[in-house]
Amino acid sequence: MSLLTAETIGKKFGGVTALKDVSLFVETGEIVGMIGPNGSGKTTFINNLSGLYAPTTGRFMFNGEDITGLPAHVITGKGISRTFQNLRVFPNISVLENILIGLHCKIDTSLWDVYARVLKTRKVEKQAREKAMAVLELADLSGRHDTLAKNLPYGKQRLLEICRAIVSDPYLLLLDEPCAGMNPVEMDDLAGFIRILQKKGITVFVIEHNMRFIMSVAERIIVLANGAKFQEGTPVEIQKDKKVQAIYLGEEGDL
Amino acid sequence: MKPGTQKHGKQQTGTIIPMTFKTLAKNPVFKTAAFLLPALGCVLLPHVMTDTYYLGIINYMILYAILCMGLNLILGYAGLLSLGHAAFYGLGGYTTAILITRCGFGFLSCLILSGIIALLFGILLGLPTRKVRGDYFCLLTIAFGEIFRLVAQAWIGFTNGAMGIVGIPIPAILGWSIRTEADFYYLGLILLAFTSITLSLLVNSKFGRAFIAIREDELAASVMGINTAVYKIIVFGIGCFYAGLAGSYLAVYQTTVTPSNFRLEESCLMIIMVIVGGMGSLFAPIAGVIIMTLATEYFRGISEYRMLIIGVIMVAVLLFRPQGIFGTSAFKG
Repeated sequence: MSLLTAETIGKKFGGVTALKDVSLFVETGEIVGMIGPNGSGKTTFINNLSGLYAPTTGRFMFNGEDITGLPAHVITGKGISRTFQNLRVFPNISVLENILIGLHCKIDTSLWDVYARVLKTRKVEKQAREKAMAVLELADLSGRHDTLAKNLPYGKQRLLEICRAIVSDPYLLLLDEPCAGMNPVEMDDLAGFIRILQKKGITVFVIEHNMRFIMSVAERIIVLANGAKFQEGTPVEIQKDKKVQAIYLGEEGDL
Repeated sequence: MKPGTQKHGKQQTGTIIPMTFKTLAKNPVFKTAAFLLPALGCVLLPHVMTDTYYLGIINYMILYAILCMGLNLILGYAGLLSLGHAAFYGLGGYTTAILITRCGFGFLSCLILSGIIALLFGILLGLPTRKVRGDYFCLLTIAFGEIFRLVAQAWIGFTNGAMGIVGIPIPAILGWSIRTEADFYYLGLILLAFTSITLSLLVNSKFGRAFIAIREDELAASVMGINTAVYKIIVFGIGCFYAGLAGSYLAVYQTTVTPSNFRLEESCLMIIMVIVGGMGSLFAPIAGVIIMTLATEYFRGISEYRMLIIGVIMVAVLLFRPQGIFGTSAFKG
């Protein structure tokens, strides 16, 4: 059974069809890439999956469970974490606190515990801190845990956002254009980091425009065009595909 | 480098004074002393300062400190601009006044019930407003504040209208009857300590972080697994709880409650205190409370014109230190 199956997902905003009958699957342990021209519905697809929108048609099965249209915080609790295309770290708090917020759904503290079981809460907090530091260590950010997130360099902020998403040990990590604005060196670091995550057992679904990056990282690539699935295959197959080249670059007769 | 320091070798790279201060700050004896000495000072204060006028001012400072710390949780941590805080303050005040004078309740149970009633109304207002953001949330809280004041003024049978409820008797807790300014000072101190301890437990838990996440980026917070609607209701309810406690204290301290105690101006004053002291840091609003209370007392002679002075202080703070005196950098603007 696949980790995630999307069955004929469709999304309409008023009269605009953003997604049309997109069906795909993601197997456990894979790194799946999604590419497509601007406006082809990649981010809309992730937003539907992570619960920010509810799809108009179709359903998402995750771990054998129907998660279609559940609110975002419930879906996160089920083990799907994500990052955003336009970087959304919490800017005015420290790096460590950012990570701790990412751990929110894994910290088992009720309001009663906060006031009446102070020692237990303190112990849980200490464990959470250790866990957060371990994740920062993984991304080589542990030396800067006290820095305010907004004071980190851009590439590190991107990395921090991924750390915040993986600290809760998700089954599936959704990355929405993680390379946007990165330089080639940072991109290579990121590719390495994503492979480390794969080794740790996290399945990764990544949207990216940068071909060099996605071809080097993804094991299987899905191409979206105009809100529908257009093509699917290994990076080599996709690179050779004349139709995919056509939707990106236009056909010979177009000019 | 001075020639004399050369022979100490390379170990001492940092300057000496901050190093010793750092080690001193970690010293457990220093830590307990740094906590105990001011605490002892607070306890002994009424014996040193016997003038009831000054003690009275300090009592009002404590009252506003409780209010503003609660408001800071809503405004500074969760980033919700509530201009109806005086209504919850009033709910606490009227609860205590009515229960003591008409139902013969003891003060302690009134105090607790006042907090709980303010908490319940906070949750009640939080329910419809949980999906409303920014300016609209602020408008709804103003509306609630005005509704409360008008009801208190118009419902003569229950609240005695604009005359207010007078003659609230001397309260007693477990046989300790609270009569003098010094007694009220100690009662206030206990309440302030309770407020500080419970609030610091809350903000240092995952709840406090969730509130901050909502302030920083609500959408990202929801993707972190935070049920933003529920957490907004929780933070609003808890913030209002402290306003209820403060209202209860006010009722027994000034022995009357009238609707004019809980006008919109009160809410604004609290907001100004929190902004001047600093938002988003637990004890920072106390600085604002001290400055604003002293300013209003000092300029009492010029009556209504002192609002001008308050305005000037506020503008000066916003110009030169937008995050408030002790606020976090989140509000630097």
